[in-house]
Order: sequence, then C-alpha cells, then structure tokens
Amino acid sequence: MSRLRARGRRRASRIHPALYLFPLPALVLYVVFFAVPTLQAVQYSVTDWDGFSPDFANVGIANFRDALTDDDLFRNAATNNLKFMLVVVVLQTAFALLLALLLARNSRGGILLRALFFFPTILSSVSVAFIWKFVYDPNFGLGNRFLGAVGLDGLQSSYLGDDAAAIYWVALSQVWFHVGQMMVLFIAGLQAVPRELYEASAIDGAGRWAQFRHITWPMIAPATTIVVAYTTIQSFRAFDLILGLGGNPPRPSLDILSTRIYATFVNSEYGYAAAESLLFMLLIAAITVAQRQLLGLTRGSV
Amino acid sequence: MSDRHTPLTRRRLMQLAGTVGAGWAVASCAGPGSSGGGADEARDEPIPTGPVEGEVSFAHWRAEDQAAFDQLIAAFRQETGVTVRQDISPSNDYQSTALQRVRGGGVGDVLTAFRGAQFNDMVSAGVYSDLTDQDVVGQYDSQLIEVGRQDGTQWGLPYQVVFNMPVANLDLLERAGATGAPQDWQGFLALCEDLQALGVVPIAWPAAAPGDAGQLLNAMVMNNAPADDMFVQVESGDLKVTDEWFLTTLRQYEQLRPFFQPRATGTAVEPAQQLFASGQAAMLATGSYHIAPVRALGAQFPMDLVAPITVPADQAKYEGIYNATFILGVNTASDVRPAGLAWVEFLSRPENASAYANATAQHVTVSGATYENQDLERTSPWLTRDTLLAPRFQFDDLDVRAAVENAAVAVVGGTSPEQAAEEAQRVVDQAQ
Repeated sequence: MSRLRARGRRRASRIHPALYLFPLPALVLYVVFFAVPTLQAVQYSVTDWDGFSPDFANVGIANFRDALTDDDLFRNAATNNLKFMLVVVVLQTAFALLLALLLARNSRGGILLRALFFFPTILSSVSVAFIWKFVYDPNFGLGNRFLGAVGLDGLQSSYLGDDAAAIYWVALSQVWFHVGQMMVLFIAGLQAVPRELYEASAIDGAGRWAQFRHITWPMIAPATTIVVAYTTIQSFRAFDLILGLGGNPPRPSLDILSTRIYATFVNSEYGYAAAESLLFMLLIAAITVAQRQLLGLTRGSV
Repeated sequence: MSDRHTPLTRRRLMQLAGTVGAGWAVASCAGPGSSGGGADEARDEPIPTGPVEGEVSFAHWRAEDQAAFDQLIAAFRQETGVTVRQDISPSNDYQSTALQRVRGGGVGDVLTAFRGAQFNDMVSAGVYSDLTDQDVVGQYDSQLIEVGRQDGTQWGLPYQVVFNMPVANLDLLERAGATGAPQDWQGFLALCEDLQALGVVPIAWPAAAPGDAGQLLNAMVMNNAPADDMFVQVESGDLKVTDEWFLTTLRQYEQLRPFFQPRATGTAVEPAQQLFASGQAAMLATGSYHIAPVRALGAQFPMDLVAPITVPADQAKYEGIYNATFILGVNTASDVRPAGLAWVEFLSRPENASAYANATAQHVTVSGATYENQDLERTSPWLTRDTLLAPRFQFDDLDVRAAVENAAVAVVGGTSPEQAAEEAQRVVDQAQ
C-alpha cells in the first residue's frame, strides 16, 4: 500500500504545478455563470421578491406548490413544451438520419446538398423566425398562397393563429432550423462504420434493411444518443424562435417553459420565476435520464 | 507526520479551488434586493443644480422617432454642448427589460416608461427623480400628465398623446355611404356590412401581435363596463370577466368575426398594416401610433379615428380612447442629472415638442404645441372629445392583462364567449 502511495506521489510530483492552473479559467466561468446563479435561484425561489425592491418575504415552498398545482399558465407551457419536444425529437432525428443515409457518400452532389441542408443552422433564430413568419402569414404567406395555387384551398390554415396546431407549426420551423446540424452528426457516425461489416454481411446475403438494422443502427447508437439528447435540450431552449414567431409574450398556444419563465420575470415575480426555473431544470434532467434508460442508447448497450 | 515539502497535487488544487469557489459562491448569494445600484439612496435627493455637462443616455423604445430626436439632439448640443445618445430597444424588449437596465444608471440618464405596470414598477424601484417643483412641469397640460403623478408627486412627464382605437380610411368609408362615425353598435355593424359589400375587409386586426391585438379591447369595453376603472376592479376581484358586461363584449367580438380579415388570429402587425395601407381594408384596429408607419407604406388616403360604440347612442359615455404615455423622467442613479433635466426641459418647449409631433405624426402633452402635419390636424379634435384613458394599461399584472385580452382573440378564433371568459377568469383568480 505504502509503496503504491509513494509511487503515486512521485508521479504527481513529476507534473509541473503550473499545469494545474489551466482548468482555472473554465472553473471560474463555470462557477460565475452556472454555480452561483443556480444557488441564487434556489435562494430566490423561496421568496416573493419582485426583482427590484429591497423588501421580500420568505414564502417557503409556496412558489413550487403554486406552480405545480395552481397555475394554468405554467401547466399549459409545460404541456406545450412536451408536445413540442416530442414532435421535434422524433421528426428531427428521423429526417436527420434519412438525410445522412442519403448523403453520407462524399460525392460532389452529396457535399453540395449537405451544405444546403446545413445552411439554416448558421442563421440566427430571429432570422429563422422572420422567414417562417412570412411562410405562415395567413393572408400574404407562402404557405397559403402555395396551397391556393395548387387548388388546395381547403387546407389553408391560420397556422400560428390556430390554437390547437400552433405549437406544431413552430416545431416544424425548429426541425427545418436544426435538421442539418443533426445530419452532420449522423454522417460523422456513419462514416466511422467499417466498410468490412457491410461487405461481410452482403456475402452472408443480408439485404439493405437487415444491414441497417443489424449494423448501421447499433454502430451509430453513440451519434443517436447525442442527437436525441441535444435535440431534447434544444427543444426546451427554443425561446428566441418562439418570441420571434409569436411575439412577446407569446399567446398561450405558443407558450413554452422558457418563455413562461421569462414572462413571469417580466411580470415582476422574480422569486416565482426562480421556482419555475428550478422545476424546469428538474424536468429536463428527468427527461434526459428517462430517455437514456428507455432508449437504451448508452455506450454499454452498443 | 506530514511531508516537509508538500507537493501541489491535482487533488489539493481542486480542493483549494473548490473551497474558494464555494465560499465565494455562498458570499455571492446575498439576499434578494441587495444589489440596488444606488437608485434607492438617491431617490429622495432633489436633482442637483450643477453645471449642464456630460453625455446623456436617453432610453426609449420609439425607433421610428430616432431621426426626429436626432434633429432635436443636434439643436440641444449646439445650445448646451451636451451630447445625447439614444439607447433604443424594441417596445416589447423595453417593456421587459428596461427597469433592470436603467436601475444602475449606466444607460437611461433620461428614461421613458409605458403607462401602467412599467411606470408603477419604476417609481417603486426609485428610478424616477421627483420633478414636482421643477419649472418644466408648467410646460404641460396638467390633465394630460396626471398619469405621471403618484400621491401628489410628479415623477414623470407623459410626452405623447395616442388614440388607441381603430384608424379608418375615409375614402372607403365615404364610398360605403358613411356620413360620419357610427353612433351605436347597430350602426357600426351596418357600416362593416356596407364596407364588406364594397369588396374590402372592414377591419384589419393583427390578432397575432401581442400588444397591438389588445388595443381594440379599450374601445370595446369603454361603454360596456360598469366602471371606468374596470380592469383595476378585475384585478382586485370586485369585477369578474365572467360578468355580463364582459360576456357582452366578447359576444360583440363574435359578431365582428366575419368583418375581420380571414384567419385574423394568425395575422401579425405588418400584414395588417399592409392590408390597410393598400386599401384592401377600411379600418386598422390598433391606434393613431400606426398612422405614420402606414403613410410610410405609401397610403395616400385621408385617415381619421373611429371607435366602435358598443351600446345604444343615448347610453354611450365615451366617444373614444386616448393614452398619455412615453413618460419622460430623470434617472435617480444618473451621474449627469442636471444635463438630463436640461434635455427634458428642451423637449418640453412648445417649439421643440411641435417639431417632434409633426415629424412623428403624434400629438404631445406640451401646452402650446402646434400641429402642421395633416394627419395630426385631422385627428386633433379628438384631444377635446369625451375619451377614456386607455383601460388596458390599468392592469398591473401582465399575465392577467394577456389572459383578458387573449379571451377576445380566442372568441374570434372560434371559442365560445363563456368558455373564453371562464379560462381568463381562472388566470385572474390564480394571480390573486
């Protein structure tokens, strides 16, 4: 034991002490921009602080209780967000995978199309919101004009003005916005799959579907894990896209948790907004853990 | 026994960083409200009578007025040597973040606020300097600046007078046979039918634009409500939006449904302006603040204001709606308060207020301002008519305001008035 410890000490002392200073900038940034705000959010969440007054009262768990049991707006935002997340995760992952499968080869056409599909990712959310605002406008928008031109007037919609469907229209914009980014992750995963596996399976008589099911899908599981987890978190952060499309504050049919928290903060309910933020964090954490468990997309399962 | 030369291991460094970080993090978590930015200390101190010098930051939300202010700023600089820098945010962002931004005094030596919740919060936060004893107050029409006063103290000076009711294309109204503004609800519906018969949209309503969509509610409730402070009472629980007066209002929105542009609930403000400016719609249900943008889109027709009178003519108490807003003030946290006050005084001179009004097509609260702009001249009679101070700004709780306004949008979208009212009332109840 003591020999082991002595060897460890010797190994540690061989590293120049100055090297230990290297993580410091990252650590400082993490503490300043994550640890402290999170601790403060916990502190504020049990108060009725309005965000500017010197006075406040401790209200215990009342903010959490109200948000969970007596707040239609928060519940509506959470429901919208789950619908939004579900549609975005399924469609974005499926389309990204499909595009990646079609464009994985490094042909000239493939590279050009990849660049084209990736293009929306480099736009700002506000620009994307403006583009889709023009598509979704019921009177002058591209969507209804196209439907009118091809004789499908019956399918014309008020899009973001349709309370039942508005959140799904925003989800489509989000998919268009980020599908190229996810496609690139899948392409990287696909290009890492050894060719020999396909050649061997072809000799064994495997069809394309069998190859996808037994080789491609398991081999790109790490990429899928990243895509699904990132898309999930991204769908909870669609704040600027929603505000750009739905205005500030958005109507209840477009309200998601991040916009609800912002609206609460603007409404001079800082303590309550902090409680909502913590519930938001817990929800994302729970969904991410559940996703990993349910989909079995961990490294161990590959 | 410890080593004489303790090496700096990774574990030790992490322990040290963790201890320091945790200590600092806990120390950073000072109690809420403890980072006031100095505004509270300066709150009761009058504006000092020091030299007019320095650079003044002027925070507001009127990007469309930037050029008009630039001209006034140039004249002010020539007179005093003081530079004024405009710090402009979009109106929604200004509503959301201005208080936090101006509290420290880094921006907004001279600031503005929307009437209602934002002004009230800014006064509570001690941002506005007391102007009660300043000579500049005498430059204003005292009735129009009442909203800048609280408990006898004049904190701010509302600079603009806006009429938050539909703007009408008089050419189209004339073609529809209208000889004047309808005097009752049946007359208003008949006018809408006549306009529809002309093949135009009677009312362009940007129901998908928060803020703009709610303006129509002002006129819809002004004669229906049992009290002028109806929305104060809704917030306090003395009135409910499930009461008959508000249900009547929602049923009237239902009657207007065929007269809005198709699928109105999805229309943003720009397309609604375009419909109106191009002559495809006869009325734009927002307010006089959209006259200048509509002119910028190329509208040549004469415009006036038309409020829907929702009751029989003999029961109508009000003809329309006005709002005194853009509440000017001097920031208590500012380092250049004398220069800030000088800028407010400069804006408050009749000749400068007139220049601003005519350049931006907005009426002002400054006494003796003269209007040469054709649209201002035509709408000037509204300054002396029986108008109600826009009730939608009575709300202190923005969630409650949005819920009540969204009830009207939901009805036009197909929800029954009763259901829309109940859903809104639940939000009101939960906010109490």
